[in-house]
Amino acid sequence: MNVRPRVGFHFRWAHLWALLVALFVAAPLYWMAVSSLKPLEEVGANPPTAWPETLTFENYRQAFTDNNFGRYLLNSAAVSLLATGLVLALSAFAGYALARLPLRGKSPIMVALLMISLFPTIALAAPLFLLMREVGWLNSYQGLILVYTALNIPFAIWILRNFFLQIPKEMEEVAWVDGASPVRTVLRVILPQALPGMFTAAIFTFTACWTEFLIGLTLNTADDYRTMPVGVALFGSTFTVPYGTIFAAATVSVLPIALLVLVFRRAVVSGLTSGAVKG
Amino acid sequence: MSGGRARTESPRTEPRRALPQESGRSELDRKFARLGWLFTVPAMLVVLAVTLFPIAFSVAMSLSHVTVSADGFQLSGFTGEHYKLLLQSDRWRHAVVFTVLYTIGTVVAELVLGTLIALVLEQLSGGRGWMMALLLLPWAMITVVSAQLWAYMYNGVYGVLTAMTEGLTGTPFQFLGTPLPAVLSMAAADVWKTTPFVAIIVLAGLMMLPSDVVEAARVDGAGAWTAFWKVRLPLLRPALVIAVLFRVLQAFGIFDLPFVLTGGGPGDATESLALLGWHVMFTNLDFGPGAAVAASTAALVLVGCLIFLRAFKARVGDEETQ
Repeated sequence: MNVRPRVGFHFRWAHLWALLVALFVAAPLYWMAVSSLKPLEEVGANPPTAWPETLTFENYRQAFTDNNFGRYLLNSAAVSLLATGLVLALSAFAGYALARLPLRGKSPIMVALLMISLFPTIALAAPLFLLMREVGWLNSYQGLILVYTALNIPFAIWILRNFFLQIPKEMEEVAWVDGASPVRTVLRVILPQALPGMFTAAIFTFTACWTEFLIGLTLNTADDYRTMPVGVALFGSTFTVPYGTIFAAATVSVLPIALLVLVFRRAVVSGLTSGAVKG
Repeated sequence: MSGGRARTESPRTEPRRALPQESGRSELDRKFARLGWLFTVPAMLVVLAVTLFPIAFSVAMSLSHVTVSADGFQLSGFTGEHYKLLLQSDRWRHAVVFTVLYTIGTVVAELVLGTLIALVLEQLSGGRGWMMALLLLPWAMITVVSAQLWAYMYNGVYGVLTAMTEGLTGTPFQFLGTPLPAVLSMAAADVWKTTPFVAIIVLAGLMMLPSDVVEAARVDGAGAWTAFWKVRLPLLRPALVIAVLFRVLQAFGIFDLPFVLTGGGPGDATESLALLGWHVMFTNLDFGPGAAVAASTAALVLVGCLIFLRAFKARVGDEETQ
């Protein structure tokens, strides 16, 4: 990204400021990880210790054997992955049609999608709860997956459409002219070129599902069906919050996301820019 | 629906016709239009079923007598009393004022801080990728988890931030004990989690700016400060508009953070509209008034969006006409 040739390290104020920013962002994360390695008394110690006096993995054992955090993580992973798959499948075709095919009323559709994706979820909580209760999908996977799919389709269509618009038309022209079937054309010719877009949409959708709380709390409160955010929020009693256990589970929940972000930071950043900004 | 039949119209002699055209509705165009709907309808159906339909239902619920019992719920008869209740309620008015002020305050803080951070990162000669990855972590973190983390750090007995204030001033500061500090502490936790998102959008916007424009301003004798305000900031506007729109909407619907961090307290100091709606619906099981709170939240968002989009003349969905 930076093409200016540099020899050695030149001090600049920017470096100092960047260091401060990094500290500001990283300090709470450090505190979470460190606290998860402290025994119970030390988690509640005053003054707090910057590094555990006794390093222990007891919190991790408690979170995943005595408590249900393993199950919460699996629930979250299952729901988020399946919803992401569905979102991609549905949005790819819709996004392509809205980018390239001669539909009437494209603009109203795109604006409506934007509006829907911006809608406060609290407006959906009660009716979805009542509807899911009627269907018997409270405390189920399919209920949550359906809702997460619907909530994330609009933004995915926006991202994908922007990527489709940038693909040169010649490739599909050749495919259409050669008489390939429409579905085949999209799958074999269009999607491979929009792969970065698919990737970005996938990461955004997965992150949104992985972190979603309100609908999860509304639909799935039975212990075996809680997602990670619901499990973390409802864990412990009113008077004592077992922070050590929570942070052990939380640290584990941050790791896959951290890995994802580290490896795919380019896709995420490009999604934040070309996906969002171009609109 | 096989596109194979397109061949019979001898497209090889006239390859342009093979692609969907905006003008002239030939047989082929209609076929492509049908295909377009076929591709679009499944996604739309899912979205309609899970969002628009419940929203309509929610509005209906807010205007009806609702009875919820063990074997179902019933809407019976029109009534405006839920909204009347709302307008007379101090708690609702407080939630509206709190949510609006909180949204403005946090978004302004995030925008200023985010832009500053982006300007710093732009100056970096190396390690920018690592900084970006670090900035993405709070963004991708589960809000409930970060709320628990801040609750722990703010804890009045063993919180690390409380201990720091004790070390500095001699008395431990109770961050969440009284209304104003509680609101500001919550805002700080929010700023920590969301400023990085703004910084990344702005940074990406900065990197896409044509460098010759800034150079030209430099040559014309503009200082770095003037060049930023007069040249780069106006060019950054599209990126900023999107960042602000996203953040405003998220901040306005804020739920996770107060639910875990403060429970809306002390008193109802940090009770946002979404949290109020939730309490009314699922703690008190008053679905009618709860739906009215939810509908009023949605209406405020809608109005805010329209004003915002009009003010910034952000046009959406018509790139192909450029």
